[in-house]
Amino acid sequence: MLDIDSLTKRYGDVVALDGCSFTVRPGRMLGFLGRNGAGKTTTMRAVFGLANPDSGEIRWDGHPITAADRRRFGYMPEERGLYPAMALTDQLVYFGRLHGMTAAEARAAADRWLADLDLADRAGDALQDLSQGNQQRVQLAAALLHDPELLVLDEPFNGLDPIGAATMARVLRERAAAGTAVMFSSHQLEVVEDLCEDVAIIDRGRVVVTGEVEALQAESPYRRVELDLSDQQAAALQDLDGVLESRFDGRHHVLKVRADVDITRLMAGVGTGLGGGQHFVYTTPSLTQIFTEAVSPPDHPAATTADRMTHATIGGTR
Amino acid sequence: MSSMSTLRLVIGRELRTRGTSKAYLFGMLAILVVLSAAIVIPSVLDDQTTTVEIGAVGNGNDDVLDLTRQLVIDRAGDDEVEFDVTTYADTDAARAGLADGEVELVVVDGTAILRESSSAFSNDDLEQRVQEAAATLALQDRLDGSGVELAEITSVLSSQPLEVRTVQGVADAAQDEARSLIAYAGMMMLYLAILIFGAWTLQGVTEEKSSRVVEVLLATVEPWQLLAGKVIGIGLLGLAQFGITVAWAMTLIRVTGALNLPVIPVDSAVTLVVWFVLGFALYSTMFATAGALVGRSEDAQSVAFPVSMTAIVGFFVSFQALSEPAGVLARVTTFVPFMSPFVVPIRVAFQEITVWEQLLAVAVTAGLVVVLIRIAARVYAGGALHFAGRLGLRAAWTGARETSRP
Repeated sequence: MLDIDSLTKRYGDVVALDGCSFTVRPGRMLGFLGRNGAGKTTTMRAVFGLANPDSGEIRWDGHPITAADRRRFGYMPEERGLYPAMALTDQLVYFGRLHGMTAAEARAAADRWLADLDLADRAGDALQDLSQGNQQRVQLAAALLHDPELLVLDEPFNGLDPIGAATMARVLRERAAAGTAVMFSSHQLEVVEDLCEDVAIIDRGRVVVTGEVEALQAESPYRRVELDLSDQQAAALQDLDGVLESRFDGRHHVLKVRADVDITRLMAGVGTGLGGGQHFVYTTPSLTQIFTEAVSPPDHPAATTADRMTHATIGGTR
Repeated sequence: MSSMSTLRLVIGRELRTRGTSKAYLFGMLAILVVLSAAIVIPSVLDDQTTTVEIGAVGNGNDDVLDLTRQLVIDRAGDDEVEFDVTTYADTDAARAGLADGEVELVVVDGTAILRESSSAFSNDDLEQRVQEAAATLALQDRLDGSGVELAEITSVLSSQPLEVRTVQGVADAAQDEARSLIAYAGMMMLYLAILIFGAWTLQGVTEEKSSRVVEVLLATVEPWQLLAGKVIGIGLLGLAQFGITVAWAMTLIRVTGALNLPVIPVDSAVTLVVWFVLGFALYSTMFATAGALVGRSEDAQSVAFPVSMTAIVGFFVSFQALSEPAGVLARVTTFVPFMSPFVVPIRVAFQEITVWEQLLAVAVTAGLVVVLIRIAARVYAGGALHFAGRLGLRAAWTGARETSRP
């Protein structure tokens, strides 16, 4: 179990982390969400000692992380990196051994992963001869080779085609099912909603929302309603108590309503029954909605800090 | 897994990937080819045969000629000896032969020498050998029955019974030659190794940064392990190349007999290896630190410039030491850390240095290497995750808090 506990970190005037806390549990996947520059990469680097927080603590199974712990972790940085001229197997064996495997174990694991990721016939090729997508697979193999107890991936779905993304999702599911604690950052919220049991949303260095995705959705004070309405009905709806937003998404009307609104009464008020149209959905809000609610809007004055951080991330100086 | 085994893995990777790289193997091959050419071509062009044309008239010449031939061969060392005897019917024919230059001199009846020059004294080697042979035979005749062998007489007569000394010690031209050869060759090799393999270290560090693999590595490997592994790994390759080159040169020289190679003085050889290691460690660490300050290989040359410049200054200072190994500049630069690897081996080679000076110089440089590795590891840690543009030394130093672990 990985405990991230009240991390703070400043780079000069820039606040990168400001009370960042959440927990990653074995056998579960946590989606780490936040706008660019919110502090995701800094947090993940801190797990590997690549960034030193000014205060706060990161614990693994209750104790501060040691070098020996880190050898049982797997890391896939946002800036992908392997040795371009080294053959795949040699490369993976080297990383496996750095994680404490024997040469034989590392070789066996490399063969197994290359086969699993459909790269067995490229085992002797240099990394630079592979397509971008295949290089990403090798990067994943390098992070997984030693069967890590904790897997930390920074934007693992970035730049993957649908097949690559499916493979990544499958592998991550398998790892979590095998008992690994998995955390990854992503801007693809549907993917996170699909894969992750847990989520942590970070905004300007502070974790603003964390918990089980389903619980967060259930606890949300809002519900989402999709239905077909006439223009008149739609206009009438605007004025009803409990309806916070109404828009037409091209096919259906989408409403954001308070969770305590009695939907049957609402429909009666508009003048349509529950089965009135061809389409009716009443559901908890999507992760995208929860995320949008949680983080400060881009034009928010306080977001200037975040913008500066975005710039720093592009420079990659942290 | 101990930190040493991690270090070994890093070193092992450097050895495997660089040691089998085309750059290393072809570089090695090129050095050996050039070296072979430099040694073999002069020895092939150079006529290594001593030709003796000697004439004989009358009887009783055989013993003298046989012994003369033996003595000429003894003196010739590794050279082939062609000993041609021309027998003339009478003295007139011999005179004609001498006048035509067919022979250098003529032995007459085993008792006289006929030659062209009218000088009473001769420095002619062949004439001396003939006289030596005749004297040996005469002595053997007198000593007949005393049990003294011919070879003993020869060795007494052909040796220098008195050892020649100079005020500095025993005069040994061959040893002096060996020492200056070692001083010169050693300094050149160290200089080249520093520039070539130092550039490799620099390149190795920037490569890991530009390929971004450094972030994956630093998640499990300490910055100092990565830095030291690179310096040691590439250093071992440099040392291997150095060793193979020297061994190959020695073998060729012996086989072809190109140079009359004396025994290499042990003190010089040991000093050379020690300073090769120290000098390389010093400069390589500097190059690695420079590499940590830049994000791209393209920027590497600009940060490496001060380091290469220091090596070039050291190189020129060492020329001064070659010409004046006991001079003030040589004595001072013995203790200047970045200069001593070039200067000390030269002073040792010429035996113009005291033991305490050597030990102090080694201590200063070794101490600096230790301090420098610590500083470099910190700068490296601070700069390793800096990928854009060029980082100032101060920024890297303070930035090091980011990656230094409790």
